[in-house]
Amino acid sequence: MAIDVSEDVDHATDALGGSVADIDARRVVRGLGGLLAFLLVWTGASLTQPSYVLPSPLVVAETFVAQAASGEMFVALGNSVLHWIPGAVFGTGLGVAAGIALAWSPYLDDVTSPVVRVLRPVPPLALIGFAIAWFGINHAGAAFIIAVGAFWINFYATYGGVEGVSEDLLDVARSLGVEGDLALIRTVVVPASLPEITTGMRTGIGRCWMLVVASEIFGVAGIGRRILRASNNLQVDVVITYILVLSLMYLVVDVAFRAFQRRALAWR
Amino acid sequence: MAVETPRVRVEGIGKRFEGTNGPVQALEGVTFDVADGEFVCIVGPSGCGKTTLFRIIAGLEPATTGRVVLDGDRVDGPSTDLGLVFQEYHLFPWRTVAGNVGFGLERDGVATTERERRVRELLELVGLDGFADAYPRDLSGGMKQRVALARALAVDPGLLLMDEPFGAVDAQTKKLLQDELLDIWRETGKTILFVTHDVEEAVKLADRVVVMAKEPGRLREVIDVDVERPRERSDDGFGATYQRLLDLI
Repeated sequence: MAIDVSEDVDHATDALGGSVADIDARRVVRGLGGLLAFLLVWTGASLTQPSYVLPSPLVVAETFVAQAASGEMFVALGNSVLHWIPGAVFGTGLGVAAGIALAWSPYLDDVTSPVVRVLRPVPPLALIGFAIAWFGINHAGAAFIIAVGAFWINFYATYGGVEGVSEDLLDVARSLGVEGDLALIRTVVVPASLPEITTGMRTGIGRCWMLVVASEIFGVAGIGRRILRASNNLQVDVVITYILVLSLMYLVVDVAFRAFQRRALAWR
Repeated sequence: MAVETPRVRVEGIGKRFEGTNGPVQALEGVTFDVADGEFVCIVGPSGCGKTTLFRIIAGLEPATTGRVVLDGDRVDGPSTDLGLVFQEYHLFPWRTVAGNVGFGLERDGVATTERERRVRELLELVGLDGFADAYPRDLSGGMKQRVALARALAVDPGLLLMDEPFGAVDAQTKKLLQDELLDIWRETGKTILFVTHDVEEAVKLADRVVVMAKEPGRLREVIDVDVERPRERSDDGFGATYQRLLDLI
């Protein structure tokens, strides 16, 4: 049987190809201009201050190279990564799982709601005592602090996403033979709320880099420890150097995750 | 027509809602049969409970009284015996056209090659061969509805339930889709229950038309459409049936 498909598929994006490149180029130029202006203002300000208040960008650059050359930077980074990764992985995994479970099951939601409300406002830093008592002054203790931060962001993002899954899609899936909570979650709930889940992951990953500093406050080695030690010694150039390392790590991981997210959500 | 057990029996369906101003009787005593391979349309004014009736027959909502029996079994929830097509398509946006059509075939141990073959057949049936890898966001309304139809047909349901499926597309596409649906109905021999508010659509498509009235939503009359297919507005009997339905509504 032959049927005419008279309607056409949209190719809205193709026609815009040339101008999109132009816009990108303009944005890059503007961004570089802004960065240059920032460095100029910084340099100007540093001329009026002693270097233990604000070193110039040039001094920071020299320190950065020296820290990298001596290998100290990579040791600190390696240490931080050793609790950043397990903290981010466990916090994200548990947060997403709990978000799905509680948004899906009204029973679980009712049961856990009082506890969730009590625990939610506790800042990860307030849990340092537990981190030391339960895990010790080591990667596991620092990972615990990081995981707590990642957990809540992922929990709420996932919870919101799952709550928003269309009842109609679930009805359609049931009428196509999907039976049981786990099967519905796997075939409909997770893919349908993937935009919210991955946005939560992305926010959480960034938060984890910030928490690296907090998680090392009680003595675990890493970038945060290095920043705290340099602060005590008024080595502001070293402080800025390691802040830059954190920013760069965040940037690298965020760009990589965004690429993954764009692929996973190609259907949007 | 030979005496046989109907494919679907809708028996004394009633539905009460607890509204803010006390209980509302949305449906009362709706009873009719649909024979195997029959095309039945349900028409009625807005507020007559058509969509509620659709949801009850589909097993998506319980009735307050009465029951729906499909092939001898009481309907107590959605199942692969009931293929659903909605006005708003409800495609899985994260799946391609082929992924949507094949969704219901990913269980029951259907082998991958068999599934792919079925999906190809169905896409050809609804005229979407060549669009297997497109995502729903790239499709027009008419194409989305073809995907939804193919997806519902994939699991070979005993009854195809359609709720105003062509209500969201332009007039030209609507006519095209109606003709295609009749072709597919003839080709597959499916039993179809089709809800619409469009009287002309009902006369064009149905073997019989179930006419509903409102307050409370109830069955007014069941009208046979005795017009040879393919039907045109100018055909003998088309205008008369159309007028009769309009008078009833």
